Amino acid sequence: MERLPQKERTLHWDTHPHMDLPFLLLTLILTAVGLLMMFSASYARAFQEEGSSTFYLWRQGIFAIVGIGAMYLMCMVGYDWLRRFAYIFWGISIALLILVLLVGTKVNGARRWLNLGFTTFQPSEAAKAAEVVLFAAMIASFKDKMQTFRYGVLPFGLVMLGYAGLLLPQPHLSATIIIGGLGIAMMFQGGTKLRWFLLLILAGVAGFLVLTKTGYAARRLSAWLDPFSDPSDAGYQIVQSLYAIGSGGLFGLGFGKSRQKYLYLPEEHNDYIFPIVCEELGFVGAVLIILLFVLLIIRGYWIAMHAKDRFGALLAGGFTTLLALQVFLNIGVATNFLPATGISLPFFSYGGTALVLQLIEMGIILAVSCKNDNKLW
Amino acid sequence: MRKKGHSKPNFEENLTPSQRQNRLVLTRTMVLLLLCGVLLFFPLVGYLFNLMVLDHDLLRQEAIANQTAKTQISASRGNIYDRNMNILASSYSVETVYLNPVAIANYNQDIDLIASGLSRILDVKEDFVRQQAENTKYYYRIVKKKISAELSQQVRDFINEHDIVGIHLEPAEQRYYPYTSLAAQVMGFVSEEDKGTEGLEFFYNKELTGTAGSIITTKGNNGTAMPYTYEKYYDAENGHDLILTLDTTVQFYLEKNMQNAMEKYSILNGAFGIVMDVNTAEILAMATLGSYDPNHWQDIYDVNLSNQLESMYQSAIAAGEGTTAYTQGLAKYNEAIKNARLKQWRNRVVSDGYEPGSTFKLITLAAALNEGVVSTNSHFNCDGAHDYEGREQTVHCWKAQGHGNQTTAEALGNSCNIAFSDIGVALGVRDYYNYAKAFGFLETTNIDLPGEGKGYFFPESMTVANLISGAWGQTFRITPLQLVRAVAALVNGGYLMEPYIVSEVVDEDGKVIMRNEPTVIRQVISEETSRTMRQMMEYVVTDGTAGKAKTAGYAIGGKTGTSEKIDVYDENGEQVKDKMVSFVGVAPIDDPKYVVLVVLDTPSDKTGLYISGGIMAAPTVRDVFADILPYLGVEPNYDEDDISAVNVSVPNTVGMSVEQAVKVLGERSLTLRTVGNGSVITGQIPAMGAEVPGNSEILVYMGEEVPKDPVTVPNFMGMTVAEARQAAKNAGIYIQAQGTDTAVGAIYVTYQSVAGGTSVQRGSTIHVEFTDNTVRD
Repeated sequence: MERLPQKERTLHWDTHPHMDLPFLLLTLILTAVGLLMMFSASYARAFQEEGSSTFYLWRQGIFAIVGIGAMYLMCMVGYDWLRRFAYIFWGISIALLILVLLVGTKVNGARRWLNLGFTTFQPSEAAKAAEVVLFAAMIASFKDKMQTFRYGVLPFGLVMLGYAGLLLPQPHLSATIIIGGLGIAMMFQGGTKLRWFLLLILAGVAGFLVLTKTGYAARRLSAWLDPFSDPSDAGYQIVQSLYAIGSGGLFGLGFGKSRQKYLYLPEEHNDYIFPIVCEELGFVGAVLIILLFVLLIIRGYWIAMHAKDRFGALLAGGFTTLLALQVFLNIGVATNFLPATGISLPFFSYGGTALVLQLIEMGIILAVSCKNDNKLW
Repeated sequence: MRKKGHSKPNFEENLTPSQRQNRLVLTRTMVLLLLCGVLLFFPLVGYLFNLMVLDHDLLRQEAIANQTAKTQISASRGNIYDRNMNILASSYSVETVYLNPVAIANYNQDIDLIASGLSRILDVKEDFVRQQAENTKYYYRIVKKKISAELSQQVRDFINEHDIVGIHLEPAEQRYYPYTSLAAQVMGFVSEEDKGTEGLEFFYNKELTGTAGSIITTKGNNGTAMPYTYEKYYDAENGHDLILTLDTTVQFYLEKNMQNAMEKYSILNGAFGIVMDVNTAEILAMATLGSYDPNHWQDIYDVNLSNQLESMYQSAIAAGEGTTAYTQGLAKYNEAIKNARLKQWRNRVVSDGYEPGSTFKLITLAAALNEGVVSTNSHFNCDGAHDYEGREQTVHCWKAQGHGNQTTAEALGNSCNIAFSDIGVALGVRDYYNYAKAFGFLETTNIDLPGEGKGYFFPESMTVANLISGAWGQTFRITPLQLVRAVAALVNGGYLMEPYIVSEVVDEDGKVIMRNEPTVIRQVISEETSRTMRQMMEYVVTDGTAGKAKTAGYAIGGKTGTSEKIDVYDENGEQVKDKMVSFVGVAPIDDPKYVVLVVLDTPSDKTGLYISGGIMAAPTVRDVFADILPYLGVEPNYDEDDISAVNVSVPNTVGMSVEQAVKVLGERSLTLRTVGNGSVITGQIPAMGAEVPGNSEILVYMGEEVPKDPVTVPNFMGMTVAEARQAAKNAGIYIQAQGTDTAVGAIYVTYQSVAGGTSVQRGSTIHVEFTDNTVRD
């Protein structure tokens, strides 16, 4: 197990994949539900801004199909080859982050998007995926040297700092937080000595405090603590979000019947899609959807635990953690449990390349599941 | 422990570094599973439960308020009508101009243009408009409320001409009082915020206001339509109308005669009066002079006060902005103008206590008669002064030489303080107090007007000293309304009623929502006592101090009163000797219908007249009766003496023979004198339709030309009756003499309606007032 047979390290079609069926099903269900809810949420804005209520649905639908195909492809080709390309992916992600700073499209004062002509793309999404692959490869190679500072902390810290150094100038705080959180989680999973996490947590808190002193973040923070104190300005988005969530009640207004989506709630088909879900499907529906995510996440870790090798375990664990963090942060922000940052909800938020990438990541987890030996090591 | 400690290193020793690492990864992944797969989501579900289940109602309501557009449909304020459905208060549509600063900013409107334009049209300060326009925190900033249709049109033209976004007009209502200051304190007024303030507008604000309606429509943000819309209509319910017991004509006569009295007697501190139906306690008129116009309720109508305020303001302004003198001066000015307003808004008839003076002797006497301690046959002796046990000061009668031996009626007619001290003592403290209580002097009358006071009467533990001064109406305070309803009870058979001024509240379809009915509270004195009181009160007018209250054609009863103000001190701490003179009269006294009270506050001592109710208030009430009784359909019954006191309309005699003319004129108690020698009358003075006193002589011209030149009114002041009549005849005018039938003493002219030296048409009639200066109290 430690050394892989030569032929398994090459890219190949697995003609007999035994992918994890529950994980596949959960992924497909979430993709379908997400697509429907995205359609419902975007209905009014699509009509208002694009002239057709189904504008976003068609685009997202096409990406979903492409994504599902890509997921299947990933599953088929396995994951071992990723380990060899880990540093290349990392390099590509760094290059893209530099590129976006140079030629990226500026939206609302932030330069986060690369315009690909037919669609747009956030290099930060690629950075997150590249980080998972890189860290998994590093941890798998470092073995029990992970216990040392030199191997278990320093290189990871430097990678993360490098990402942060490229993300913050965009600025892209939420991606930085996810890169950081994800990296720490993977270091934890990989066996870094616990005492280093204390330092990291201290560093994190310090960084957070520094951020809150800067005008932009400080304003968000006060809006978080009391959104109703300035409902027409800084607190507008969160107040509208809470209106939507609160309007839902136990069983919701019914699918498609959200009122807040009529241009009250900004980003209603993007970062703030979950409030519309709450408004339409109620507490019961919202909890069911959270449950779907929770099951998917648990299954993802379960796959990680049954992976045939350490790299697979870290890969599946890393992408699962990435999913969990995104879901948690997105819903946390929508419910005002956390201060506002722009984090999309996997499978639900509008965004073609992000959805395709998300499905590819699910495909990688499925690829890991194909090699599961069904026994814990 | 030992076993475990032994086996563990062993177990680990067997593993390669890679395997050890795998094991660690496995356990760490399990921890992550618990942490990221389970624990993270507990607070989220908790938060959702909180928002979606616990706070659901609150957030849903706020969301709906946020998602709906509410269009107000304003309700129209109800009208106020008098008893004959004359409109006393009504509302008409106006508009309010406001700005939407957000729109002005979003559409980059020219604020300078808006400020200068609106400032010019609406007469507001340019800086003010600018401030309002720049306040981009709001969507609604008022520039000017309730502007006329004409100004609204100008604003619209201005908006259209410059294509301005952000100036809006919205419908509003302006209250209007067509009779201006008539019954102003009764009416009250409506504030800038459309709230009834003072008077009936305040008391019946709820009924008058109605309920504003609204249309609630769902809307998308930016006004986009929502497919799942709903609309709810809440109809506006217009305010109810009030129908008053008040009679505009009676009110007008009351105020007119009170106003005349204020000028005739140089009244310094205003006057107040009431006309009430004695049998129903309906208020027909209620006036406080020193009044204001509710159409412009913020203006100060007292000229002196207004000038004083203006100079206060000017001196404050002169001090210069920013100085302490400026701030203090303005504060003082604001305080003063506030007080001045409150003073003119005050309905003294219901709100203020005053010392009734001798008018209260009626109450004392009625109590004593009803208790049987005094009868119509009782006798009272007055030496001008008398000492009573329990009272330190000697009681002095207003007539220093004393009234001598008097019957009960004479004692009342003379308004003798000694006699009434005797009556009070005979009645006793307890009964005096109980009757005062029964007559309602310790409670409010419960009239449907705001701010009713109840005066300040003696406590139950009152002393004999209190009793003696109280018996003649001194050293306590009651409200004019309390007195009037007690006097109504005296003459209506003894029934104390609850006065009211609104007879019906009706909705816009005329359906009666609320109706006030005459309410008897209690019977205070017997029918028998009431009948005696009517006789006594008539005696006061026919033979007593109220001679000047005699009204031609009507039997009047009443009582005069003059009181020095208590508790009023000048700046040196000296008690002010200001007097209030009053008369309360009832007509017709043989079949009582109306009670009238007029109180004149502080006649000037410079008129040369003796300051008393008999000389000043009684003739005022007489004039009120003379005006209102015929109007109210009370048939006059003139005797010979009355004729000359009543005006008749001169008939046409032109073209008639002298015989015919004598007959036609005779029917109206007029005589004639011929001028010239023709056989047919060719002209007459005065002309047909002129009003002259009964028994006057009409000049008929037989062929001779009627003189057209004006004549000069003589100065009658100080003349006796005979002198005045002769002077009038010489001048070629008629006089209507009043006060000539006063019983005692020499009488002189104290007032003429047209000043001496004035040119008038030949044959004009002017009023001349004779006064017996010996009539007091």
